[in-house]
Amino acid sequence: MDWPTGQDVNRQPRALLSVLLIGAIAFVGWRYWTSTRPDPEEGTEIRVSESSTRGGTLRSSLRSEPKSFNRFVERSVPTDIYSLFTGSKLIRVNRATQEIEAELAERWTTSPDNLTYTLTLRDGVTWSDGTPFTSADVVFSFQAIYDPKVGSQLASSLMIDGKPLVVTAPDPKTVVIKLPQTFGPGVAIFDNVHLAAKHKYEAALKAGKFGEALGVQTPPADLVSIGPFKLTTYTPGQRLIFDRNPRYWKKDATGIQLPYLDQVILEIVPDQNAELVRLQAGQLDMLQQQVRSEDIATLRPLEQQGKLKLIELGVSADPDLFFFNLRSPYWAKDPRRDWITRKEFRQAISHAIDREAFANTVFLGAGVPVWGPMTPGNPKWFSPNVPRYGYSVERAKEILAGLGLRNRDADPWLEDPKGTEARFTLIAYRGNSSVERGSAIIRDELKPLGIAVDVVLLEQGALIERLQTGDFEAINFIQNWTNLDPAMSPDFWLSSGSAHIWNIGQSKPATDWEKEIDDLMGIVMRSVDQAERKKAFDDIQKIFAEHLPVLYFVTPRLYMGVSTRVGGLTPSILRPQLLWNVERMTVKQGQ
Amino acid sequence: MGRYLLTRLAFALLLVYVVSSAAFILTRIAPGGYVDQQCVTLTADECKALRLRLGADRPLAEQYLSWMSGIIRLDFGQSFLYGRPVGALLRDRAINTAMLATIALLFATAIGIPLGIYSGTNHGIGRATVRVLSVIGLSVPPLIGSLALVFLAARTGWLPVGGMTSSAGVEMTWAQWLADLARHLPLPALALAIPMAATLERLQSEAIESASHESFVAASRARGVDRMRSILRHAWPVSLRPVLGLYGVMIGTLFSGSFVVEVVTSWPGLGQLMFAALRARDLFLVAGCAATGAFFLAAGTLISDLLLAYTDPRVRSGERA
Repeated sequence: MDWPTGQDVNRQPRALLSVLLIGAIAFVGWRYWTSTRPDPEEGTEIRVSESSTRGGTLRSSLRSEPKSFNRFVERSVPTDIYSLFTGSKLIRVNRATQEIEAELAERWTTSPDNLTYTLTLRDGVTWSDGTPFTSADVVFSFQAIYDPKVGSQLASSLMIDGKPLVVTAPDPKTVVIKLPQTFGPGVAIFDNVHLAAKHKYEAALKAGKFGEALGVQTPPADLVSIGPFKLTTYTPGQRLIFDRNPRYWKKDATGIQLPYLDQVILEIVPDQNAELVRLQAGQLDMLQQQVRSEDIATLRPLEQQGKLKLIELGVSADPDLFFFNLRSPYWAKDPRRDWITRKEFRQAISHAIDREAFANTVFLGAGVPVWGPMTPGNPKWFSPNVPRYGYSVERAKEILAGLGLRNRDADPWLEDPKGTEARFTLIAYRGNSSVERGSAIIRDELKPLGIAVDVVLLEQGALIERLQTGDFEAINFIQNWTNLDPAMSPDFWLSSGSAHIWNIGQSKPATDWEKEIDDLMGIVMRSVDQAERKKAFDDIQKIFAEHLPVLYFVTPRLYMGVSTRVGGLTPSILRPQLLWNVERMTVKQGQ
Repeated sequence: MGRYLLTRLAFALLLVYVVSSAAFILTRIAPGGYVDQQCVTLTADECKALRLRLGADRPLAEQYLSWMSGIIRLDFGQSFLYGRPVGALLRDRAINTAMLATIALLFATAIGIPLGIYSGTNHGIGRATVRVLSVIGLSVPPLIGSLALVFLAARTGWLPVGGMTSSAGVEMTWAQWLADLARHLPLPALALAIPMAATLERLQSEAIESASHESFVAASRARGVDRMRSILRHAWPVSLRPVLGLYGVMIGTLFSGSFVVEVVTSWPGLGQLMFAALRARDLFLVAGCAATGAFFLAAGTLISDLLLAYTDPRVRSGERA
């Protein structure tokens, strides 16, 4: 071996230094060029398939704090979002398309009698701590859901006719689920299943403490994830920070591992106005929920400046609703009982409300007239062929006259033959601007008809108590479907249901038409023939529109305000409208 | 003095007890409790299970006695809303509120007292300008003031429009964290300080104007003491009596949290906590927040009484008599 000597020794470091210097100059020049050249996609949405979209931090908001990270026992927006970020489903219903998608169960088979599903789990899936995900985790999750000591809020959505599903695991990759009877939505029921890690929480379940597990005081390091992110920081009153889960199982079409984002920060901003200001100031990329109608005009200038996109999500599936108390005992001693619970009275009210004016006043033009609980925002189940009550004060007056309601004295109000005034008290939800404005419209539109409406605004809790105890005459509130398939919301439709708001929890149907709806709901819930289900539900909507136990006037168009640096959006009308698919969202970095 | 202190402490304890008990009982008997609000999205069985789990099915007297026995052990119960012990929540939020209140009080004092001395001892356009500004400051409710400041911050980008720290806070050094906090503090602190500064200015102005006509001030002037020295040395300490009396109430109000400012500026303090607790009818948290607010009010009053005794010899002599 020859060792370099003399000038060679001095020349080598100089050459190395020159190479380094040239390299450094080239690097700085390249960085300068890349930072100053115009972005060809400035202001346009980034497509998720581009590999350049990897990385970055998304900043969104939460209007309330999580009470627990345990989705089994807690159903609230923060807990739901936590669960979306850190969980995965066996099979999910795509919130934008309503199509079934294979998730942790990569395929499944159905028995000929439609009572048994055999799910095959994906290979190589692990929890964020590296523990393999197996069928034992699925069986354990069902045990936790059905354990009465847990008091899981998922249990009712995973019961059919009050009976649980029977879940077994013949091997680590296979789960067999037997239904007590056929179920119309089919495998979509598994979208309600949330998964818990057996290796972490088995001891808690055995000790009867699973309900207390995953509390907000749990150190983030102790929380395991099987979703796109894992919680790394929770600062009460301030924010939650989620970092990318490097062990997440899902990849995009080009083989890039999801999620694209490195981090998601959810700032806790309890006030909706403050939340909007933060979006305007660029401190948030998006809001937790849709933009209020009254805020759309505020955000338009920012859209014109190219700082924000106002994305129209479509027509909301959750219209405001107005209903009377239809419990007979409530009106037994009331002189108004002869007409106030009659369907004709409600039909007259429906005729008397100008839905176009309602949309313009309440939703500032961003609303669509509706005639029933299913809106065009739910095209799969919406039926346009239902009785409609067009705006006609004259027709309304005729109907009321048919009920014996005429103006018999000098005041502007109608009276029945016994002299009882046509008047009722409408309780409305204080704090929701559309409900408050809607209640004022109802009062004002019924006044020329001769019906007096006393509007009382109550806090949500007080209103709900009045609703549950049946201590009200009429209520104006908000519909909140958690699932667009009516079979998943039987409590609203069935006369025995706890959300059958006009007459809650009947031991047997109080009216013939409610019995008819109960029978048709049996088909919607049990038939596996989708055409038969749809026909039965169309009939339900017809009966509903004729008897009008609940009146619907307008449903809003939904808009989301999003920073132009955010891409990969798949908007849904269901909450959370954008974050439901956070794994495919992207941000332009350096903005 | 010791007996005086003991009396004031006993009064403070009684205040805290009465206020927190009243808050507990009123929240409990008001229609639409926490569980009722949750039950709107639950089935009947789930609702029943939740009621049982949170002990909401127990009679009022039983709940109250259980809560009181907990208080003796410094256990304020568990928050329904946050799923955490109320004591820990109050401690965390009280620190944030204390930071904000201290800065707001310093701002208010630094602005209000000098302006009050100036307007109370001078005439002309300067005095008139200060008075007009004070009247504006007094007339603007904290909600409007904080919204205006938030709007200004959003438009100019000079200050963050809300929050206590920025989201990068978790990766900062202590010095960076303090600098970040210092950027977030001025907006809510000013929103709180402006009306207080206006109040202090008005009170200080009138008090010093009145004190400057006292004979001992005239005597000092006759002895050849210059005007400014005479005002600051002789008139100002006497004029502080009504001002310090107000400080007690201000300290109490500030430290118990100004929910309007805290909600608008997303400051995670006691006011915001109380607001959320009241909206959700979180029984134990409402009672805990009320107790903390009453404690701060009593402490503020006590501190102002002590300051008054320290600064005004007439109070001390009255106490001895």
